[in-house]
Amino acid sequence: MFIVQVGTLLIALVYYGNAQTSIVAVNTTIPGSELSANGLKQRAAVVVPQSPVFHPGLRSQFSLNLLSAFPEDLEVSDYCFELLAIFGQRYSTYVNCLVSAARPVKVCQNCYGTYSNLMEIYKNISSDQMGPGNVSCRDSLLRSDRLMLVFLLYNNLEDIWTASECNRCVSPGHHSLTNDTLYFMATLNQSLSCFEKYQKQGNHSELCKECKATYRGLNELYSRMEKNHTLCIDIEDSMNMTRILWSKNFNCSFPRAETVPVIAVSSFMLFLPVIFYLSSFLHSEQKKRKLIHPKRAKSNTSFMNIQDKFS
Amino acid sequence: MANITKKVSWSSRGDESGGGERTPLLNGSEEIRITRQLSGDGGMFHIGRLSTVDLEEDLTSEEDTVRGCPKEIPHNEKLLSLKFESLDYDNSENQLFLEEERRMSFMGFRCLEISRWVVCGLIGFLTGLIACCIDIAVENLAGVKYFVVKQNIEKFTEVGGLSISLILWAVLNSAFVMVGAVIVAFFEPGAAGSGIPQIKCYLNGVKIPRVVRLKTLVVKVFGVICSVAGGLAVGKEGPMIHSGAVVAAGVSQGRSTSLKKDFKIFEYFRRDTEKRDFVSAGAAAGVSAAFGAPVGGVLFSLEEGASFWNQMLTWRIFFASMISTFTLNFFLSIYNKKPGELSSPGLINFGRFESESVAYNIYEIPLFIVMGAIGGLLGALFNILNYWLTIFRIRYVHRPCLQVMEAMLVAAVTATVSFTMIYFSNDCQPLRPDQSEDYPLQLFCADGQYNSMATAFFNTPERSVRSLFHNPPGSYNPLTLSVFTLTYFLLACWTYGLTVSAGVFIPSLLIGAAWGRLFGILLASITPNGSIWAVPGKYALIGAAAQLGGIVRMTLSLTVIMVEATGNVTYGLPIMLVLMTAKIVGDYFVEGLYDIHIKLQSVPFLHWEAPATSHWLTAREVMSAPVTCFKRIEKVATIVDVLSNTSTNHNGFPVVVPVAASDDPGKICGLILRSQIIVLLKHKVFVELARSRLTQRKLQLKDFRDAYPRFPPIQSIHVSQDERECMMDLTEFMNPTPYTVPQETSLPRVFKLFRALGLRHLVVVDNENRVVGLVTRKDLARYHLGKHGLEEMQLAQT
Repeated sequence: MFIVQVGTLLIALVYYGNAQTSIVAVNTTIPGSELSANGLKQRAAVVVPQSPVFHPGLRSQFSLNLLSAFPEDLEVSDYCFELLAIFGQRYSTYVNCLVSAARPVKVCQNCYGTYSNLMEIYKNISSDQMGPGNVSCRDSLLRSDRLMLVFLLYNNLEDIWTASECNRCVSPGHHSLTNDTLYFMATLNQSLSCFEKYQKQGNHSELCKECKATYRGLNELYSRMEKNHTLCIDIEDSMNMTRILWSKNFNCSFPRAETVPVIAVSSFMLFLPVIFYLSSFLHSEQKKRKLIHPKRAKSNTSFMNIQDKFS
Repeated sequence: MANITKKVSWSSRGDESGGGERTPLLNGSEEIRITRQLSGDGGMFHIGRLSTVDLEEDLTSEEDTVRGCPKEIPHNEKLLSLKFESLDYDNSENQLFLEEERRMSFMGFRCLEISRWVVCGLIGFLTGLIACCIDIAVENLAGVKYFVVKQNIEKFTEVGGLSISLILWAVLNSAFVMVGAVIVAFFEPGAAGSGIPQIKCYLNGVKIPRVVRLKTLVVKVFGVICSVAGGLAVGKEGPMIHSGAVVAAGVSQGRSTSLKKDFKIFEYFRRDTEKRDFVSAGAAAGVSAAFGAPVGGVLFSLEEGASFWNQMLTWRIFFASMISTFTLNFFLSIYNKKPGELSSPGLINFGRFESESVAYNIYEIPLFIVMGAIGGLLGALFNILNYWLTIFRIRYVHRPCLQVMEAMLVAAVTATVSFTMIYFSNDCQPLRPDQSEDYPLQLFCADGQYNSMATAFFNTPERSVRSLFHNPPGSYNPLTLSVFTLTYFLLACWTYGLTVSAGVFIPSLLIGAAWGRLFGILLASITPNGSIWAVPGKYALIGAAAQLGGIVRMTLSLTVIMVEATGNVTYGLPIMLVLMTAKIVGDYFVEGLYDIHIKLQSVPFLHWEAPATSHWLTAREVMSAPVTCFKRIEKVATIVDVLSNTSTNHNGFPVVVPVAASDDPGKICGLILRSQIIVLLKHKVFVELARSRLTQRKLQLKDFRDAYPRFPPIQSIHVSQDERECMMDLTEFMNPTPYTVPQETSLPRVFKLFRALGLRHLVVVDNENRVVGLVTRKDLARYHLGKHGLEEMQLAQT
């Protein structure tokens, strides 16, 4: 029954993924969109086992029937089934990890290990090296039908990984987080502990003053990392949260303090053209045009209306 | 009989006397003309004079006392300047020409055709290259400026003293603009403005002094870089068109008179007819480089110079346009380190409108038309304000140092206003990773957010346009947009007409995009489920089109330019409708901006048609008379005296055979131009000399071409006392078959002939083929349909 669970989860995930993308695309708050996604998940869980056609549990029976129907060379080997099972297992582990690390975002720090496992097994499946018994699982698992489910599933997760830019925070080989990331986390913790310390006193202006140095250090580090392209979603999100704390909750942004000098300088500047135009109007000699009287058979050099000729 | 019953707008010219001094002044000027050969003030002209008996003549006869001294009036739009001359589009088929044609082989004509293509390719290439240079220079200079100011603002936001940042910004702006204004005001005033009016005039057949010189090009390019980097509310697109035209005029001649370098190529093209064709190709290449719109460029040339057109020329112009946009694209791709990726065809890149959300629905079309009407109204307002401002500038701000000061002040005020807007704006938006905010300013916003007003003001105008088109809904709040629209409208209106080289396309687009986006946002908020189709970016585009159409009133070419710049053909219909509406609404109030500026420069511009209700005017009333004529064999002294007479700066002289009675005008047998005579005098082609020196080289057409286009003034040609007694035979050099019309031809008929053939002089003859008058461009251009019917403009010295 393990496969059943994985299957339902997978289907639910695909639905969930679609629902997510549609929310992003519309980018407006459709009330209950979150609910509907959840609902879908539940519905999938409820509906699937009851339906005889899509019941994954029946797969073994069907496959038995089919196996007898197909000739030997189209059969999926046991080795590949094994790989598929491992893929499913690792897949669900990774997805579980992702969901639990969704808010606040910690998908890179928490799930890089599971992702690397998943990647490894997928690499095995998709490699063109022959397994035992001279079979390649790539063709039988990945490319034999229109849906290409395994590929699709993996692709979705890979997209999530790419979009979260986790590669920038995880060392090559996915063994650990990069030093930069760890350093950032340490700096962040410094700031947060400072916030915590002064927050207890309930005096935000004190907090703004005392934590400014660490906060600014954090900000500088962040912008340095931004320039180096070493930011992943975890860092971005935690920085965002810290900034919101700092600006909105503690209200430590800069106040608009020098309205008077700005107004003074700008009204002086705006006054200059008035002086300029007035003085040029009064002092500059008005440019006159010399009228030329052209040679005409009839003399009509004056400014006139000649339409009413026949009136 | 012509009774002058009404006079208009005396109030604007208080020192103007009544019409009564006309007759005395005519007499007065005739007294001055002592050197006139043919003072044919015969019966013919009295008829004309009698036909305009003026009832008021007696009332103002006391004005006789002031006759002789020329009247001076303040500048206004109802003047024609004497400094403008026509181009010689008409080919002079004299004997030299026929000889040359006979000598030319079949291969010669083939080579000519090929070299036309080569020239067009070169024009496109160089224009694209210039566009590329402008783009890179502006981007870098503006980048440095905004970087410095941003650093400064960030520093002072923290420690206080933001007014210093304001001053820094203003000073930087003024410094850039000062450089730009100084080179324009002191070195080449012809490079001021967008250059589109000048090119329109050139294609219309008016020779604007120094408009297609190399110096103008250099000043124009540097000027536009300075003014855009100086943060003025201007664009770099209009000057591109002028630059393209100058490139064309230079390349096609195969030499530069400014640099005194003659490559001895393309000599055949050294005349106005050929040059005009290339200039229209250059203008098209300029449009094409500016907007990435090759077809739009071709149509621009078509719209502005369509009376001289043929299919092969169109094809060549299209070739030049394509080469130009390709060159720009290619070099920019190298600059952006993606060689070969041809993704930036124009200076202004509207970005792509491709997603499904920007598709429009049939029920939106009435909304678009409403927006067109708004654009027309706002455009008319813009033009009226700019008109008054320009009149003031011409009258009072005419000294170069004052002009430089004005430009600097505008730059400083632009910076001040922008800064104040940004300072007091409370519109903060979160930073997005995909968004191209090049210089996000945080100021008093929360960390991680930027000031939304700053994306509009603290940026080059092109980028602001793009963010208005493409930033996702919710990036601007309505208050920001309305304040921005109002401020930028006034700034742009104030800026256009300064003595800096800068265009009006981008500011118009920006104003329109701002209120268009506002329109879209409001629409989305009033419709129940409007957020689905009322995409602000789409309305920003329509608004931009409407505003631009309302200001410049171009039709066909602008539609195609906009469609090509957006890269979306489905927008063709809405953009066309919007531009149509904007033009109709705007024309009800005032003309297009370029036409206003053409008028204010007193250019004798010929429109498509003669003014309506002018059929009763005949050539006799329109023409200038009496005509200064030469005989076939004329005395050198006479010729030199006529040419040196500064009061009558004639350019074309009918060549006549005198009739028996010496007072009567002679029979026409040809027409000779001042430029031709000057070349003849320079080479001393006198009958006596030819006899004495039999071996003298015969003058060829090449000698005329070598002197083109800057024929020396008559004063620089020395004619000795002995030579004055010689005779000149003009038979070989004159155009033996000039166009003539009888005296009774109506004005529209004369006009049509003039406009369609691109004539410069049209001889009016009586029934015995005797010359009675000469119609020139200024004689035709002075009639225009005003508020009170047909009005006449005055000639003035400017």
